[in-house]
Amino acid sequence: MSAAELKAETKDIVIDEVFPHVAETIWKALTSAQLIARWLMPPTGFEATEGKAFTFQTTPGGAWDGVIHCRILEVVPNRRLVYAWKGGDERNTGYGAPLDTVVTWSLTPVEAGTRIRLVHAGFVMPRNDSAYNVMSGGWRKVVRQLDEISGEE
Amino acid sequence: MTEAAANPVTTVMRALADPTRRAVFERVFRSEEISVAELTRGSGVTQGAISQHLKSLKQAGLVAERAEGRNVYYRAAPQGLEPLVVWMNHYGVFWRERFQNLRSLLKEIDP
Repeated sequence: MSAAELKAETKDIVIDEVFPHVAETIWKALTSAQLIARWLMPPTGFEATEGKAFTFQTTPGGAWDGVIHCRILEVVPNRRLVYAWKGGDERNTGYGAPLDTVVTWSLTPVEAGTRIRLVHAGFVMPRNDSAYNVMSGGWRKVVRQLDEISGEE
Repeated sequence: MTEAAANPVTTVMRALADPTRRAVFERVFRSEEISVAELTRGSGVTQGAISQHLKSLKQAGLVAERAEGRNVYYRAAPQGLEPLVVWMNHYGVFWRERFQNLRSLLKEIDP
């Protein structure tokens, strides 16, 4: 093992659930500003068109005003919606630290309705395979937290 | 909250950004416990430099020390990496809650 192996790597949050609705209905909830406001947060400037920018106002933290800057990266009606999710400030760490992530929604029709898979990707963490094995205590805790927030993955 | 307490992630990232310090850190956690003298041997750097690196690692919460007589032993404190999951934890909870909201909303508009 060399020091160079200790490198930054990104981790994802994954939530995967089956909802008893058709994809078209769920798609509407994911792409209508009015509906997004009811389950996520009220967006400003949302339009489900590739390249369109929009924002969410969240709780400010330290030097960060709490604004999440989003941009639609991909739209496949009733199947896939991808947007960039950026926020934070260089002067902050923890909550309010720089955040440059991507949120991907995938809808797959299944017998019981529609499988909704959310992947919030791009959380930068240091990682080292050996460290992962050796530093078992701390990483076990980290992994347990990851498991908790990764649902049934 | 003090400035230092508010910036644990930066502290950890900075502590691990230096290749020599990272190598020291790796040697510490590969050992159960290790002294400064042992860390210095074969490292190619002075004991003073090793001590400085250990001080930074300790401040970042990545190593803990134990004094025994005239020797000080260091061991890894992996919980120092915990601040890095603050954002992830935040969004883990956030999205779980939003999924519940989405489920309720859909039930309402598409019973």
